[in-house]
Amino acid sequence: MPIRNFSIIAHIDHGKSTLADRLLQATHAVSDREAREQMLDSMDLERERGITIKASAVTVQHTYKGQEYELNFIDTPGHVDFAYEVSRALTACEGAILVVDATQGVEAQTVANAYLAVENNLELIPVINKIDLPAAQPERVAMEIEQVLGLPAEDCMYVSAKTGKGITELLDAICEKLPPPRPPEVEETRALIFDSNYDDYRGVIVYFRVFDGELNVGDKIRMMGTGRTFQITELGRHRPQPEKVKTLGHAQVGYMVAAIKTLEDVRVGDTITLDARPASQPLPGYKEPQQMVFCDFYPATASAESPSAGKKGEFEALRDAINRLHLNDASFTFETEHSEALGFGFRCGFLGLLHMDIVQERLEREGGVEIVQTAPTVSYQVELTGGEIVEIHNPADLPDPSTIRSIREPIVKVEIICPTENIGDLMRLCEGRRGTFKAQKFISEGRQILDYELPLAEIIYDFYDKLKSITRGYGTMDYDIVGYRQDRLAKVSILVNNVPVEALSLICHRDNAEQRSRLILQKLKKQIDRHQFEIPLQAAIGGKIIARESIKAVRKNVTAKCYGGDITRKRKLLEKQKEGKKRMKTIGSVTIPQEAFMAVLDQGE
Amino acid sequence: MPPLHTSTTAQITIEAPAIQGKNRAVTIEGILLADRPGGPRQWDIPGVYIHVPFCFHKCHYCDFYSIVDSHDRQQAFTQRLIQELNAASPVLCRSGPVETIFVGGGTPTLLAAQQWEHLLGVINRVMPHLDRREFTVEANPETVTAELADVLLSGGVNRVSIGCQSFNHHHLKTLERWHDPENVFRSVEILRQAGLANFNLDLIFAIPGQTLDDWLDDLDRTLALQPTHISCYGLMYEPNTPLTVKMKAGRIQPVEQDLEAQMYEATIDRLAAAGFEHYEISNWARQPLNPMATANRCRHNMIYWTNRNWWPLGPSASGHVEGLRWKNVPRLGEYLDGGPFPPIIDVEQLDQDGRIGEQFMLGLRLIEGMKLEEVEALLSHGRRGQQRRLAIERSLSEGYLVGLNGSLRLSRRGLLLADSVIAPLI
Ligand SMILES: Nc1nc2c(ncn2[C@@H]2O[C@H](COP(=O)(O)OP(=O)(O)OP(=O)(O)O)[C@@H](O)[C@H]2O)c(=O)[nH]1
Ligand code: SF4
Ligand SMILES: [Mg+2]
Repeated sequence: MPIRNFSIIAHIDHGKSTLADRLLQATHAVSDREAREQMLDSMDLERERGITIKASAVTVQHTYKGQEYELNFIDTPGHVDFAYEVSRALTACEGAILVVDATQGVEAQTVANAYLAVENNLELIPVINKIDLPAAQPERVAMEIEQVLGLPAEDCMYVSAKTGKGITELLDAICEKLPPPRPPEVEETRALIFDSNYDDYRGVIVYFRVFDGELNVGDKIRMMGTGRTFQITELGRHRPQPEKVKTLGHAQVGYMVAAIKTLEDVRVGDTITLDARPASQPLPGYKEPQQMVFCDFYPATASAESPSAGKKGEFEALRDAINRLHLNDASFTFETEHSEALGFGFRCGFLGLLHMDIVQERLEREGGVEIVQTAPTVSYQVELTGGEIVEIHNPADLPDPSTIRSIREPIVKVEIICPTENIGDLMRLCEGRRGTFKAQKFISEGRQILDYELPLAEIIYDFYDKLKSITRGYGTMDYDIVGYRQDRLAKVSILVNNVPVEALSLICHRDNAEQRSRLILQKLKKQIDRHQFEIPLQAAIGGKIIARESIKAVRKNVTAKCYGGDITRKRKLLEKQKEGKKRMKTIGSVTIPQEAFMAVLDQGE
Repeated sequence: MPPLHTSTTAQITIEAPAIQGKNRAVTIEGILLADRPGGPRQWDIPGVYIHVPFCFHKCHYCDFYSIVDSHDRQQAFTQRLIQELNAASPVLCRSGPVETIFVGGGTPTLLAAQQWEHLLGVINRVMPHLDRREFTVEANPETVTAELADVLLSGGVNRVSIGCQSFNHHHLKTLERWHDPENVFRSVEILRQAGLANFNLDLIFAIPGQTLDDWLDDLDRTLALQPTHISCYGLMYEPNTPLTVKMKAGRIQPVEQDLEAQMYEATIDRLAAAGFEHYEISNWARQPLNPMATANRCRHNMIYWTNRNWWPLGPSASGHVEGLRWKNVPRLGEYLDGGPFPPIIDVEQLDQDGRIGEQFMLGLRLIEGMKLEEVEALLSHGRRGQQRRLAIERSLSEGYLVGLNGSLRLSRRGLLLADSVIAPLI
């Protein structure tokens, strides 16, 4: 049976997952009765947030001109943080459906994902979706696609993933236009691992595409990268329910279970071959994903006086949760970290802020741990006076200033697509963030592309929100790291009650250091509860204090009313007060809430 | 406390199924009053609290159980309360005399004079009228009439507590407390005419928008009425009240902590100067001529703070007998349908350590504090004696607690931070 392997790619919310639902229905993989919305978004978090986080692969069949085709497709996430998931999915395919919302037009991730597909030599079918909506402007969007991506407007297909209009035509086009899988290149078996996840009962489940040869249940396999060997106990494919098979052959996509216990044994991007007849060369793997932002996770503990404080086992619980999640998401990094003030935790690296958010939420939800998180920062390259260059992911690790010759920070190329009328405001925003103007391009009547180079540190936190508010939601952006650049950067230390709190320190440009520091201290003042003593707050560069504030001592903390009916409730309230609030860290004798660690992100404006 | 040394404490064991059984309503009868081998036990129950769950309007800071628009159910409630009183009569008469009765709410004075007459008849039959008995009724200034005052007084009521909260129209409005301050003066006058001079005025300070001068003005007007007792509460933002919702939504700004502390300290000074004994965190009693006497303290509330026993009647009333705490169902419908003992909720029997914690929580609220012998006895029991001792020592060294005249008590500074001092002792 001829095979077509493709991904569905788009800007966030343009309807990839909904289109996937229609493909499943139109090919009778699911009955109308079984159908739910965004069926492939199976994680709770995905369903709650209405976004796709993890790519998922399914197999369906479609008959075109009397011929049955096997279609393996992967629904991918649209958010910029998960571009890595998209690029992995693309390597398992020969084609891609590029979905564009007929009411929104080409947006930043439309462009970014289309380029990714082109770089991977994939055939693209542009699909204009949501044509059922009254605000749809399919012809204008087709022109944009031609203008920006160079795909002929007349090649666009028009569909509604909601009503199902145009879906059969799309399936036909997939069979006709997308290239068949490339023929085997070698005789030995080679399959590319593009994903894995962890199941409590079966261990690691590996998702792969066979490029050469075939795999059978019972085969002894070898991972070419790690050299580890396993025996396949189960093979299957998702249609979309898992369905066991005996064999997966050339160009097929599926999963395997092979009693794989630990994460070290599987690497996404690795090549599977047969132990008895190994291939000599692995398939080209993936570029390792690049972590953009870093922060610490510490187990949340209540105040120092609480019985559970510093309880052994909280760190271990966090470590287990992280290890477990890493099986499902290899794109974040972690290493143990110890901070004088916060105890043992992990320094983690993420693809972006949404990714960080999601990892934290999954750790708490799936791992049952509670986390105190420090403010995210970027990585810096520090050139020492000896000429040596060290990379740091944490302002706390910055070497002694006297040994530093220069500090370089990551620079990104930001591509913004926005209404023409907002160009001025956006340029002001970028200039205020130490941006360098690169280019301005026309897309269509009233919409433009604006290119800037900006320090990554200036955009990771609230830049996107600012962009959205300036453009009333119409602006979108994509960014890609282009290198490191030296600037006048300095480390600002924050002292709480005269104790430097490394987790609050930050690296920022010398020119805004005073202003940033004042904002941070004001924020801290609001977020740290008053204590029984006055708490001085200071910001310092080197030994020099550049800003100060103080938190007054608590003046009144007394339950006014306590009569017969109040006793039990008041006692419980006092017990809670004694326990301290969750998500707090006690540093010296000061209790600092989680939100305070984020104070350093505030840019004001 | 009828303290820890009593062996009865240990004997009360709660039959678990009685509490956990979801199907049939749990009553206090099933837990405490069930006959046991050796015959029914006796407890000293010096206090009785009766809850009247009606108001003509719901104030925005209030978290008491009360319902409005209830005229049709007041009669049924009175009947039902009498039924409960009769059922409880063996418990209440079994031991020593009831020393204090407190009728709170809600707005007890919303009940009609005839209903009161009926109710008082039964109260005095079940708890024989005693000269020394303190019998308090809470009154809303809008509802005090000469007729009602006569009925109450001839029924043995000898103390009235008036909810006046503030004399300032604007601040009353912030609280959505609906009464005319003039009616406080009128009520006091009516009570005096009827022969009652023993009354409390309830006040609230730290109302959003209130200044220190506003508050001192309230205090002066209060003193001018010559009450025997004054309660002053810093406004509390109780969960699920409209006031708290508004505060969380940023529509009202709570009074700044430093100002609230100033108001509280000013209260302490002003009332001391006016000859009032500050005897509990929020309570002041007019000093009788004999300075050693404590005649004007609220004896009923003293039962709470000394952890003695009292019996609850009416919906949402809470009770306490030897470490067992419970609450009558806080829903009028279920209260009316149940009987003669109403369904109860929130049943709790603390272990020894928990009781010690409560003992500290309550005892230190009293300005005279706790006797050192009692403190010693408490510290030598329970799981956390050593931890508590350290906490006490720390507070002593920080000056929040002081040892004075053989007692351990909060210092003036400690009063303002009572919760911080008490929390580690719980
Ligand atoms: N009216 C209409 N709404 C659609 C159509 N396709 C998708 N939607 C809606 O658009 C929203 C986003 O759809 P999704 O399928 O979750 O989008 P996505 O591209 O998978 O989003 P991410 O995975 O987060 O990148 C949902 O509310 C869909 O119901 C369509 O053809 N017409
Ligand atoms: S009158 Fe008293 S019980 Fe009634 S609502 Fe107001 S504060 Fe609450
Ligand atoms: Mg999706």
